[in-house]
Amino acid sequence: MAEKSLPKINKIDEPFWKGAAEGKLLIQKCRACGKLQFFPRVVCVDCFSGDIDWVEAAGTGKVRSFTWVRVPRNPAFKEEVPICYLNIILDEGVIMESRLVGKGIENVKLGDRVKVAFQETHNPEIKLPVFELAE
Amino acid sequence: MRRKKVCFVGYGSTEYSRKSEASVLWYYAEAIRNALKQTGLHKKDIQGLSITTQVSTDYSPHVAEQLGLELDWVLNGDYGGAGGVMSVRRAADAIEAGHVDVVVLVGGNSFDKSVVHQRPLEYQRANYVDVYGYGGPNSLMALIQRLHMEEFGTTLEQIGKIAVAQRENARQNPQALLRDPMSLEDYLNSRMISDPIRLFDCVMPCSGAECVVLASEEKAKQITDKLVYLVTDAEKVHYQVANMLPDKTTFGMKVVGDRIFAEVKREDIDLFEIYDDYPIAVLIQIEDLGYCKKGEGGKFVETHNLTYRGDFPVNTGGGELSVGQAGLAGGYLHVVEALRQLRGEAGARQVKKAERALVTGIGWLSYGRNLGTTAGLIMERRK
Repeated sequence: MAEKSLPKINKIDEPFWKGAAEGKLLIQKCRACGKLQFFPRVVCVDCFSGDIDWVEAAGTGKVRSFTWVRVPRNPAFKEEVPICYLNIILDEGVIMESRLVGKGIENVKLGDRVKVAFQETHNPEIKLPVFELAE
Repeated sequence: MRRKKVCFVGYGSTEYSRKSEASVLWYYAEAIRNALKQTGLHKKDIQGLSITTQVSTDYSPHVAEQLGLELDWVLNGDYGGAGGVMSVRRAADAIEAGHVDVVVLVGGNSFDKSVVHQRPLEYQRANYVDVYGYGGPNSLMALIQRLHMEEFGTTLEQIGKIAVAQRENARQNPQALLRDPMSLEDYLNSRMISDPIRLFDCVMPCSGAECVVLASEEKAKQITDKLVYLVTDAEKVHYQVANMLPDKTTFGMKVVGDRIFAEVKREDIDLFEIYDDYPIAVLIQIEDLGYCKKGEGGKFVETHNLTYRGDFPVNTGGGELSVGQAGLAGGYLHVVEALRQLRGEAGARQVKKAERALVTGIGWLSYGRNLGTTAGLIMERRK
C-alpha cells in the first residue's frame, strides 16, 4: 500500500519544516543582498552569498495558476481527487507551489486571495503548508 | 555558427512498443545496428558514444563495455527532453576540436522490470511538489497552459489543432503507435488528466530507441552523398532561475531562438521538429522562436496548416504525441525525423521542399517556472 508522500527533510530545509510544525511559513532571506527566495537553497540564487537567514512570511498571497489533478503521481492520493494543485505568489513576492483546500475551492480563479494553513500528516512531527481561499 | 563543418551522416530507429520488456541495452544496440547498416559503418568506426542515462542504470562506459565499443570519447547525455539536441551540440564540439571523427548518439527506454529505472525525485520536487499529490509533469504543464489560456485568450481548439495535425502526420508513419484518425472533437472529449491537460495532450510512454550518427565533413563525404550539415545551435539552462516572479509562459527557447536566428532567416526554415511533450509546449515555442508575438501562438496555429503538406509543417512524423515517447529517445525522435525529411526518406509524409529544418528540445520542468533545459539547432541539406 502506497503512503502519501512526505518531505525527506535535509540540512538545507530543516528550518522550514520546523517552522511549519509550529504554524509558521518560513522563507529564506539573503543577509548580503536582502533578496527573498523559495524553495530553500544553500546559496542566494541572486548574489550567490551563502549567508542566508530565515524570515516568517505573512502567509498570504494570490493564485497565479492552478490545475485539478485527476491522476496523481502517487496513487496514495487517489481518494482525494480532484486535487487543486496551484502556484501562488506570496505577498512577499516569491512564487510557491502548493495545494488549495477548504471551502469554495471549486470556484477558484486566477488572482484569488489565499492564506496559508498547516495540515497534519501521518508523521506527527511534520505539518504541510497548504492554502485556503481568503474571504 | 559552427567553426568547422559537422555533418549528420545517418540515423537508426527501432520499433516502438507498449509492451516489450526487452532491455534498454537491447534497444540501444538495435538502434545503433540500424544506423550502422544505413551508413555502411562498422562497429570499430565508432569513436564516440553518447547515451541517455536518466532512464537507464548504466552510464556510458558501462554501455560501451556491454556493447563491445572501444572509444575515444563518451557522454552521459542527461538533459531531459533536450537531450537529443544538447548531446548533438557536445558531440559536434568534440568533432570540431578534432578529438573524434565519428560519434554515435543514442537515446531509449524500456519497460524491463528486472531493472530499477526510476531515479529518485530531486529534492525540491520530492519535498515541495510531490507532497501535495500533484500529477507529475501533466500537472506542471497544466499550470502553464491555464495561464496561457487566461492571459492571452488561447483556446482549447487552437491547442488541439496541433495534436490533430500531428496525428494526421502520424497516419503516414509506420513507426507511430497512434495512427487512428483523431478529430478535434476526439481531442476535446478525451479524458481529463490534470485540468486543462487532457489525455490527448499527453504522450504515451513506450519502449524504443533512436540513434544519430555525426561526423566531420571530411569523414562524412566518405560515408554518404546525402550531406546534412549542422548549421547553428544554442541552448539555455534554467532561464530566469534567479527570478522569484518568473514569466511562466516564456521558455528559455526565446534566448535560443534569438541566437540561432541571428544566423539564419526564420523564413528559410522548411520544417519544424518542435519538442512536443504537450501541444501547448509546441505553441509556446512557436512564439518564443519569434514566428509570432508572445500570446499570439493560438492565432498563428489557427491560420497555418501544420501538416506535412502545409505551409508550416510541424512534427512531420507525428511527434512524441502520436509516435509515442520512448523515454529520452523523445529528444532524438525530432532529430531523426528532420534527417529523414532532409534526406528525402520520409516516404508518404515527405515535405516537398525540405532543405532546412529546425529541431528543438525542452526538458526538466522546474519549480514554479517552466523548463530547466531548452535547446535548438538548424540543419541543412547541401548538394
